[in-house]
Amino acid sequence: MKNSQSFSEDVVELAIEQYHENRISRRTLIKALGALGLAPGFFASGAALGRVKELVVVNWGGPAVKAYQDAFGVSFEKKTGIKVVIDGTGPGAGKVRAMVDAGNVTWDVLDAGVGTATLLGNTGYLEAIDYGIVDKSKVRPEFVYKWGISDYLFSFVLTYDVKGLGGDKPTGWKDFWNVKDFPGKRLLRKNPIGQLECALLGDGVPHDEVYPIDLDRALEKIREIKEHAVFWGSGSQSQQFFLQGEVVMGNLWHNRSNLLRRDTNGGVNWIWDDGIVASGVWAVVKNNPAGKDAAMHFINHAIGDVEGQVALFKVMSSGPANPEGTNRIPADLRAYDPSQPENYNRQLKFDAEWWGKHEIEAFERYRDVISS
Amino acid sequence: MNLVFRQRRAYWLLVLPAFALMLLFYIVPLVELLWVSVSEPRPGLGNYELVLLSGPIRRIIWTTVRVCIETTIPTVVLGYVVAYAMVHVERGQFTWMMLCVMLSFWVSVLVRAFSWLVMLNTRGVVNTLLLATGLMEHPLPMAYNEVGVAISIIHFMLPFAVLPMYANMVGIDKRYVSAARGLGASRAQAFWQVFFQLSIPGVVGASVLVFVFSLGFFVTPAIMGGGKVVMLAEYISVQIQDLLQWGLAATLATLLLVSVFFILAAMSRFIDLRTLFGAR
Repeated sequence: MKNSQSFSEDVVELAIEQYHENRISRRTLIKALGALGLAPGFFASGAALGRVKELVVVNWGGPAVKAYQDAFGVSFEKKTGIKVVIDGTGPGAGKVRAMVDAGNVTWDVLDAGVGTATLLGNTGYLEAIDYGIVDKSKVRPEFVYKWGISDYLFSFVLTYDVKGLGGDKPTGWKDFWNVKDFPGKRLLRKNPIGQLECALLGDGVPHDEVYPIDLDRALEKIREIKEHAVFWGSGSQSQQFFLQGEVVMGNLWHNRSNLLRRDTNGGVNWIWDDGIVASGVWAVVKNNPAGKDAAMHFINHAIGDVEGQVALFKVMSSGPANPEGTNRIPADLRAYDPSQPENYNRQLKFDAEWWGKHEIEAFERYRDVISS
Repeated sequence: MNLVFRQRRAYWLLVLPAFALMLLFYIVPLVELLWVSVSEPRPGLGNYELVLLSGPIRRIIWTTVRVCIETTIPTVVLGYVVAYAMVHVERGQFTWMMLCVMLSFWVSVLVRAFSWLVMLNTRGVVNTLLLATGLMEHPLPMAYNEVGVAISIIHFMLPFAVLPMYANMVGIDKRYVSAARGLGASRAQAFWQVFFQLSIPGVVGASVLVFVFSLGFFVTPAIMGGGKVVMLAEYISVQIQDLLQWGLAATLATLLLVSVFFILAAMSRFIDLRTLFGAR
């Protein structure tokens, strides 16, 4: 709370308290605010969120801690008075479950994978996104979900070592499976998400027929390349495989490919063709300490904060969730942004619904194939 | 008599706080773990049935046991040589050897796994040397496979093999060997028929210790295995962190725990476990 408070703020606060205690309806509240000369947009202001002081947003750490604070935290605090704390310890599904089960929730908003969000949501550990507060028209409709909404775009892209391939440039996943013309080790992910898709594309399945994934066919294709492949667990590990010269082609997150390109002066590069473009999501933990509404307001702020998304892109290479942000990426950086139409349209759109239903089975069987 | 009894009671009182801590922070969570394994996702022994019937899980258990055997044997052989040398060298050399064994204790398992990666990868130190000296035409695949995992675990476990075997060998009276030599045994005979026989309890103890510790390795296979060597600990972690299948994870953890108890119980028939854990 701020120290000095104007009268109208006080009135608003009281009105909102009544709303929270269910003494007046939302409509009455908005009317009252209107009568005070306050636009309904004011509903998102600090006073509207009662006594919330702090909101904890969890992401995957490293440079992302400062980048998120700069991109969304500062502007949200300015707008609402709620301080945003970025926790970089990683919103693992297991940790969220442990927290909620123990009745000791310390996180509000997660920057989660859509698979994780679906798994957590379906088992009762998340609040569904409240589309009464969150304006879904600000992001691409293909990445609006029940348990989460697009926070940025990322891609699984075919990445290659220019020298390691002797100047030959792969054009798609078919080349990835062609060890005769493109000799050298391959790199895939330990987690099947984004990998089964490339296996099917490599097997000649057209983009629009990849989903629903034919699990048997995809795993057969993985089995075929297995002896030529190693598998990455973390993003930094995927970079390390290339830097050590262990592999010549890999299926990497595009932001890691971009770091490799920079660190090797173009010695490692990638293609957008046949990439699999997905979206991370904002999700809200069940019984979060700042309250559901504050979390939803933060999300609505972040998906609307175009400048923040562009700033985040410059640090993390993450494609803006908001198409308006995509338009504002400087021309010289567009080649590295998965959300630019010329890159986006060449890629397969990730189908979270299929994964939501089959993740565990796919995970178990994929792991079994690569480790036996 | 009465005094002794009272003294004993005082000792029990001293142990009590530690016991209470164990109970609260170790036994209670363990019981909870056991409970999760029979209550999630539904009550019953479904998880145990799944573990017994599932091909993928059986394969992971087999990988785990296989890697443990592959690491235990070389670790104990190498450790035996070191321990044998340690009981026979002079005081000054012994101090240095002991220091080297202890030193490796102080480096974290993570740092060691990464160091081995630098040594063993395709363009790593070892392969560069092999290629430069012409000993090999192609780099040896030593990282991101079972060989790499085994090498790192062996390196980590060596002190755990050296120390119990050293403790055992120090207690062997060297005059037995001299006596055997005096009675006409060759060096090899005196070693095999006398010294080695007396050192068997140390060998068995070290083997159990190394095997049991290796069963739970997590970081090393995750880093050195290149995704192809999945051991039980990593699998359990995936079930908890990524797939939220806590019932299955608890079942596997319980089975791991029970097998460790079982191995220790079986071994306690042959050796005094207290000597193994330094409580002598």
